[in-house]
Amino acid sequence: MQTVTETGRVPDAGEVAQALDLPHEVVVGAYRRLHDGHVFVLEPGSSERLRMANPFSAVPTAFRIQVGERSWWGNCVWDGLGMIAALGGNGVMATTCPDCAQPEAVVIAESRLRHGSGVAYIGVPAASWWENIIYT
Amino acid sequence: MLLFRSEEHRDRWREPRGLGADGTMPLATMWELAHAWYHDRLDPAWRRKTADEAEALFTQLGLTGQFWRLR
Repeated sequence: MQTVTETGRVPDAGEVAQALDLPHEVVVGAYRRLHDGHVFVLEPGSSERLRMANPFSAVPTAFRIQVGERSWWGNCVWDGLGMIAALGGNGVMATTCPDCAQPEAVVIAESRLRHGSGVAYIGVPAASWWENIIYT
Repeated sequence: MLLFRSEEHRDRWREPRGLGADGTMPLATMWELAHAWYHDRLDPAWRRKTADEAEALFTQLGLTGQFWRLR
């Protein structure tokens, strides 16, 4: 997670193995266990690359998070605001309304919602979230 | 989880997809949930919430009903 927060990039299994001086298969196994435990999400069809190091996204999304001079992609509104919480409670989430594409900005300062409007919405019931977490 | 300008915009998006409205909350509640869920995410001792803990948090935030049941 340190690499993600410092660089905005989610490392693949090879990079983690090299950085931690671990056998490659150990890291691949850890990625699989974290995926199965609903902590991280593997890129579909890959055992090496993550799609989500929750709450961070490894790929560009509709949720751009800015904290200080740094920025990251979030997986959704929940994760995007969660990133701001995890990174100290000061930041901005930029997204767009899925209906009309109007830009929306949510500002958090000192762990309080300072600016932003609208309603958060998820269409999939909680019991089914992990059946297709990328869609959810 | 998406952010819509209003419930009207949400409905225009969800109705053609056959989705219900139960999974809606004010932005302020979304922030409370996100903060409670992830504020300690970078702590090395962090662990994922159990289903019981998650459901208790949902209830505390007024997210009740079958839609918010994890099992």
